[in-house]
Amino acid sequence: MFSYLVRRLALALLTLLLITFVVYALIRHMPGTPLTTDPAMMDPSKQISAEEIERLNKLYGLDKPWYVAYFHWAKNVVRLDFGRSISQNNAPVTSLIAERVPATLLLSISSLVLTYLLSIPLGLWSTVKSGTTIERTVSTLLYMLYSLPSFVAALFLQIVLAVKLGWLPLFGMTSDAYESFSMMGKTWDIFLHALMPVTCFTYGSLAYYSRFIRANMQEVVRQDYIRTARAKGVPPGQVIWRHAFRNTLIPLVTLMGLTLPSLLSGAVILEQIFTWPGMGRLYFEAIGRRDYDVVMGLTLVFSVLTLLGQLLADLLYAVVDPRVTYH
Amino acid sequence: MKARCWHKSVSKLVAITLLLSLPIGGGCSSEKSAPPPEAGGEAAKSEGSEQPFELGNMLEPFDVPSLEELIAEHEWVDRPVVDSMKLMRDFQSSLPSPELSAEEALDLRNKSPEDNAKILDALGRLASEDGEGVDYEAELVMMTNGDLKSTNPLLTSSVTESDYHSLSAFGLFSFDKEFNKFASADSVVSWQTSKDRLIDKIVMRDDLTWSDGTPITAHDVAFSFQVLMTEEIPIPAMRQGTDKIRWIEAYDDHTLVYFHREALSTNDGNMNFYILPEHKYAETIPGDPTMARSKGHSALEDKPVVGGSYTLVKRTRGQEFVMQRRESAYMRNGKQVRDKPYFKTVRFKAIEDRNTALLALKADQIHAMELTAEQWNGQSDGDDFYRDNTKTSGLAWISFHFCWNTKTPYFEDKRVRQAMSYAMDYEELLDTILYGIYSPCQGTFHPTSKMFPKDGPEPFQQDLDIAEQLLDAAGWEDSDGDGIRDREVNGRTIPFEFTLIVANIEDRIKIATLMKECLESIGVECNVKPTEFTVLTQMQRDRKFQAAFAGWGTGADPDTTANLWVTNEGRNYGSYSNLRVDALFEQARHEFDEEKRMALYGEIHNLLWEDQPYTWLFVRNSFYGFNKRLRGYNFSPRGPFSYGPGIGSIYMPTLTP
Repeated sequence: MFSYLVRRLALALLTLLLITFVVYALIRHMPGTPLTTDPAMMDPSKQISAEEIERLNKLYGLDKPWYVAYFHWAKNVVRLDFGRSISQNNAPVTSLIAERVPATLLLSISSLVLTYLLSIPLGLWSTVKSGTTIERTVSTLLYMLYSLPSFVAALFLQIVLAVKLGWLPLFGMTSDAYESFSMMGKTWDIFLHALMPVTCFTYGSLAYYSRFIRANMQEVVRQDYIRTARAKGVPPGQVIWRHAFRNTLIPLVTLMGLTLPSLLSGAVILEQIFTWPGMGRLYFEAIGRRDYDVVMGLTLVFSVLTLLGQLLADLLYAVVDPRVTYH
Repeated sequence: MKARCWHKSVSKLVAITLLLSLPIGGGCSSEKSAPPPEAGGEAAKSEGSEQPFELGNMLEPFDVPSLEELIAEHEWVDRPVVDSMKLMRDFQSSLPSPELSAEEALDLRNKSPEDNAKILDALGRLASEDGEGVDYEAELVMMTNGDLKSTNPLLTSSVTESDYHSLSAFGLFSFDKEFNKFASADSVVSWQTSKDRLIDKIVMRDDLTWSDGTPITAHDVAFSFQVLMTEEIPIPAMRQGTDKIRWIEAYDDHTLVYFHREALSTNDGNMNFYILPEHKYAETIPGDPTMARSKGHSALEDKPVVGGSYTLVKRTRGQEFVMQRRESAYMRNGKQVRDKPYFKTVRFKAIEDRNTALLALKADQIHAMELTAEQWNGQSDGDDFYRDNTKTSGLAWISFHFCWNTKTPYFEDKRVRQAMSYAMDYEELLDTILYGIYSPCQGTFHPTSKMFPKDGPEPFQQDLDIAEQLLDAAGWEDSDGDGIRDREVNGRTIPFEFTLIVANIEDRIKIATLMKECLESIGVECNVKPTEFTVLTQMQRDRKFQAAFAGWGTGADPDTTANLWVTNEGRNYGSYSNLRVDALFEQARHEFDEEKRMALYGEIHNLLWEDQPYTWLFVRNSFYGFNKRLRGYNFSPRGPFSYGPGIGSIYMPTLTP
């Protein structure tokens, strides 16, 4: 197991190096630089002159070839210096990312927990009730939900729950008077603000996961050992939970592994609609502004999480399936 | 405070997570990152340079004469020192009483230009001079479409920062809604210009203070100029114009003299830049010329010392920033010395999604927003909008066009460019795509401006016959009968097929596609390429495009268009060149007679219209939704906020029980 772990980590590091190298090459070859923004939009009398651009390019090291800049960036990363955002007035990249982590995790963890809490019982229930009218109705509803784009649902929820009924806040993460609230008040305030984004974030994957579990369970409940268990008089609940569900865990664990990076990656469109200060918006804005250090910092975070997720999933196989061992 | 610490912990956590993933050895490195540069130090050197830091190193040495010599040797002309609120009040007092009361105007739905005029007339009236009936405890909630990147006024580069600085920054000059420039009576006692126009002398008020209580003096202005003119300091945009000033000297705390390189009619605009507090930056800049990286500068970034009416009290990246009225801006020793700003707080909420912004306006969560044509025309007519809001529109000098790259074989001939303008279906563009609410564009200057010539052109009308004749005359004919015109260029026959780049925005793509369809009927192939905005900007800046759809707002002086049209200038993306136009811009800079100067711009306008470096398409007016509680808004060609008094005249009346 130990040697397997070492091999996997070594491979992960190599992959990481390759990912960052390729991403750096790509973003540096995209037309535009962090200095491409047009101040003339603010005031037509203010224009960056060619000499000024040259001066700033030199100052920010943008005049160096991309591969030199990459190794400079990588060297700094080893020293725990992840660089600074040119377009955000030299703010440290770690601070910019750290500012967005809580908001992103709040959405993604709530959504993930809700998804699993609801989709597993729903998937099992669908298996038990397979073929009944109510199960077909629920299935149809879930398919409909799955096909409904989240930005449409977001707009609809905003119009109904925030504008027409006034039950929930329309956008943002906190109220204007947030600072004056008690701890309970603050929690409640964030809860209310998060309700609509979490709903939009969750319903699609809820539909997908419950269908996924149901499909796998349908396969498993037809196996001989399930028939044997039933013939031996094992109660139906135990057959489903202990005998059948455990065997559907392997593909579910793979899915969970792949979910890890999405915990921090955020969702650009939903974050924009709800003005949620998450990682998706930061990434999107950084790419648009060619804010190289921020893009690279975020790429590194997502890559690390993806690789960790895969490793975790592989290790969990051994936990859920005793036949799997690593050497 | 706790949230801050938490961020720092997360920041460390992010760093540690990343470290764990790094090549072996990296995590064990004993090397520490260099500590951030700190303020001061006698041997301070600029970053990345072995040269000692020298403030104002872009300036040539200048022998400053004594003030007595200056006063004695020059003849001085008094220049306007104006209270912009008083100016607006005087203007409004010359108008007849509004046809409708405010209540009646709020009940009216804006369905015609007449309705619009009535609403604007009734709700645009200023509050009474003594402020009676104004709710001074009110909060104004505005939307902004991006983050506040920097609170340092000299590092400003975006519209959001411009919004922020309009309330927080200190400056000496302003302009009214007709773009007449003046020194602001809020900060200046007198302004004189030498008769040879080479020197300006300002006497500042002695009751000005920064938000930390330190007096604002002439030395702050001279210092800020030196900062702007220092090579190592990364000033994104504010240097332009200011670099035409030779020297600024503070003779005492209040007397300031600007020495110009040349006598130019644009010198007034060049003197208009934001001011930094010298007592905060003089010591810190040499150690950190970026004005951002050191601890001292980071602290100033978070808690800026401001000279304007409002100070920053909250800033949450990605969400909002809040500004609070500061008493020391208008009170001195218990006495009111300036107008008290109408709002206690102004909150800017970052909303990037236009649909969310409109819903926020309808839900009374923001108080004003600019509406798109689609929102004005279909989404703001119902009870849900009019329950808390009204809407008005005003003239704005924002125009959109196709820019032709004159260095390509397709558009080097002005007859081809004229043909493009004749080919466009303006009726379809204005009436269908733009809902009939925008006006046709008649060239680089707006027809209502002083620069528009008396014999100004009429807008183009689609005429495909003329377009075809012009293309024939320019040598673009369908020689091989494939339906696409062609011409021999450098010994090779090339088809008239070009790419039109356009920002990835729905209505812009529709407009470009309309042009494509129009050109198809005259044998020209136009490929529409929706392009990410940064790529679009870079391609234009590098002149690596054939045609582009774009738009421009207006500066407060016609000379700001020089960088659009003068040969090799920065915004002259189409590489247009007409020596007569170049000469006229130069001549206008040296012309001080207003009428003659405007006539020169009129001539430029006609020359450009003849050359058609752009196909001018339409003028986008300002369309705004305002909360019903707001009053005192008026439009300038730059919208309702960016002029004097602009946002400063907007108020909320006290609620009547």
